[in-house]
Amino acid sequence: MLFPTVTFAVFFLAVLPLSWLLMPRPRLWQPFMLTASFVFYAWWDWRFVFLLATSIAGNWLAGQGIASGRRPRLWLAGAVALDLGLLGYFKYAGFLVSSVENGLAALGIPASSSLLSVALPVGISFYTFMALSYVVDIHRGTLAPAPFLRFAVWLSFFPHLVAGPIVRGSELLPQLERPRDPRDVDVTRAFFLIVSGLFLKVVIANHLATHLVDDVFASPNSHSSLEVLAGVYGYAVEIFADFCGYTNIAIGIALLLGFRFPQNFDSPYAAVSLQDFWRRWHITLSRWLRDYLYIPLGGNRKGKLLTYRNLLLTMLLGGLWHGAAWTFVAWGGLHGAGLAVERLWRDLRRSEPRDTPWRRWLGRVVTFHVVCLGWIFFRAPSFGTARQVIVRLFDAWGQASPLVTSSVVLAIVAGIAIQYLPLGSVGALGRGFARLPLPAQAATLGICLALIQTLGPAGVAPFIYFRF
Amino acid sequence: MRTPAARGVVLLAAMLALGGLLDARGLRKQAEIQPPGVQRDVALALTRPLLDVSSFLRLDRPRHALQVAIGRRDEDRVDTSVDFGPPPVRHTPRPAPQPVAHTPTPEPKPKPKPKARFTASHPLRIWVAGDSLAEVPGQALERAASGREPIRILRVESRLSTGLGRPDLYNWFVRIRQAIPALHPNVAVLSFGADDAHNYMSGVPKGRTIGKLGSPTWDAEYLRRVSGVTRELNRAGIYVVWLGLPIPRGRGFFYSFQKVNAVLREAAAEAPHAAYLSTWQLLSTKNGKYADYLRDGHGRLVQMRASDGVHYTQAAGDLIARTLLQRLGRVYTLGG
Repeated sequence: MLFPTVTFAVFFLAVLPLSWLLMPRPRLWQPFMLTASFVFYAWWDWRFVFLLATSIAGNWLAGQGIASGRRPRLWLAGAVALDLGLLGYFKYAGFLVSSVENGLAALGIPASSSLLSVALPVGISFYTFMALSYVVDIHRGTLAPAPFLRFAVWLSFFPHLVAGPIVRGSELLPQLERPRDPRDVDVTRAFFLIVSGLFLKVVIANHLATHLVDDVFASPNSHSSLEVLAGVYGYAVEIFADFCGYTNIAIGIALLLGFRFPQNFDSPYAAVSLQDFWRRWHITLSRWLRDYLYIPLGGNRKGKLLTYRNLLLTMLLGGLWHGAAWTFVAWGGLHGAGLAVERLWRDLRRSEPRDTPWRRWLGRVVTFHVVCLGWIFFRAPSFGTARQVIVRLFDAWGQASPLVTSSVVLAIVAGIAIQYLPLGSVGALGRGFARLPLPAQAATLGICLALIQTLGPAGVAPFIYFRF
Repeated sequence: MRTPAARGVVLLAAMLALGGLLDARGLRKQAEIQPPGVQRDVALALTRPLLDVSSFLRLDRPRHALQVAIGRRDEDRVDTSVDFGPPPVRHTPRPAPQPVAHTPTPEPKPKPKPKARFTASHPLRIWVAGDSLAEVPGQALERAASGREPIRILRVESRLSTGLGRPDLYNWFVRIRQAIPALHPNVAVLSFGADDAHNYMSGVPKGRTIGKLGSPTWDAEYLRRVSGVTRELNRAGIYVVWLGLPIPRGRGFFYSFQKVNAVLREAAAEAPHAAYLSTWQLLSTKNGKYADYLRDGHGRLVQMRASDGVHYTQAAGDLIARTLLQRLGRVYTLGG
């Protein structure tokens, strides 16, 4: 079930009032929300529900085992093995086996395996990372184990289930402990997030994908340098609009249900450095990688060289998390190397440079273009295509560029410009909306919804992050 | 700003109601183009009064005005016509006047003619069209053609979830008629069927009903459409290549894809200037089984299929494009 569909609208219109009606009775609300989340997930493929149920049962049991104090390390290892085993089997089996076999073949060692063909369950990377954080936090003593139903609702809660944000136990489980106050719901912010998310996804991301990006990355050599350049910028905007749009809708839906999710994006293309970028892009994943990978690897506590290594390793694995392909590893490697170079540069400097507007803009431009270079590897289906895109950026200027239309340029400019909107303007918009009487609010939202539906391309394209 | 939850519920309902009224024609189209079943019946029952109220209050006008302004005037129109030229009539020496046959009869294959020659200055013009499965092979053809002077890919037109069975979703019969004079292709590479592989077809002639997929009536109607398209293109001097459906993962589409392929193969065999390319065979293991990974020409394991077990990866697209160009090399003289 995709968010911007009539099916989801009907589903949510039924779930929202029922959820508030049952909220005062957790014994009824929890099974209800669990059922609703499972229905939402089963809409893709009912068989994957068993996988989700296995993850819930296994991790909850492990949490109980760790908390019992009897062989906590063994319980933790078991849970990690279960989570990484499921993820590895469903997401990486083919990639790993083919990589090993091709590597052996390159060394002259023939190997012949029978490769498994398995479907990738939607959202598995997200709920696996959430489950891992739960058992690790219990082992660290920073989280108490939750009762089964509460844990199951937390892991399967439909607003975050398929593409995040990655909500930790410490963030959502306490909210699930007590009924939410129906008199205290941030309705204005919820609708602002839902409508802005729909606009980003349906109008900006789908338009750029359909009219520019897909064509350019499918066959870079058939396009002019200007089209390829627009395609690279276009993809930067598309992936932001797609993923930030999805997250905005998810956070807005959770807010209407009375729950607060952490922020996942904060104007990432306004970042002045790669480190700054990762504080603003997919924030919940960055935090996860920092707390469960970078810091356990030693973080910056074991000397400069090991810090650089840890940055590189963390980002390489972060790249692999996105997809089972070497292009994702290259994307992660580029970011890891970039972060290490920034760190080295900072270490070599004797004093902090003066913060000037000129320096900040230079930082923004350089960071944005390094990020765009990374997106080429992220989007390209192979290294060959990525190389073609990069070469084509330079060798076909002056050719006709029919894909670079005014609507495409407008979408790219709008997608980048919104990163620089002053925070106050969004707040003022929200306050203005909140002051409107109910009929005017409803009219505003209805008109926005109809506008989005009319302006977006026909059909509903799936969200990019659903496949991760 | 904190507000009661009830206000959120009311606002959500009001937003969807008003948005629905303003967008009633779009919602009506979405309801109409669904396959028959409870979901379609419910959607039609809900959108009928919605459209009536929207029309009465003239709330459907802003959407139409905006569509006209952005050049999408006909987006809400549902066109289920299945039009192509009439089936050929066999002309035999007539001792006496005969009634015109109403059932399509295959034209005899013409005698082999000298192969047409295409050069850099007079390239072979290829048009690729179809559902989502047309996209990757089409793009692979573009890549392959970018290094081959006698070939020019005119356009890759891939429309998700469309086919010859559902002109209500997108009318390919109209599009094909438009494309012939607009693009002047020499070859049409068509990939249809994945979204037709179910029991329902729209645009069935009045008074005729079709059975389930694979039934004689379903086969006959689908063959009528595939043959009609092939004939229309052949008549304009365009060679047609039908890309068959690939072997799918699991049993879900195994039977239905084979049924569709049988019709495509039959239509190609009947037509004077058409070929059928079996991607099923191309993307199966030696044992005829499905696999995500297959060995390429260098013996390396390469992922050929997308995570859904149906769509192609770029490597599969390249393989199909290579095979297709080899096939076209037998029909035409390319270069020289």
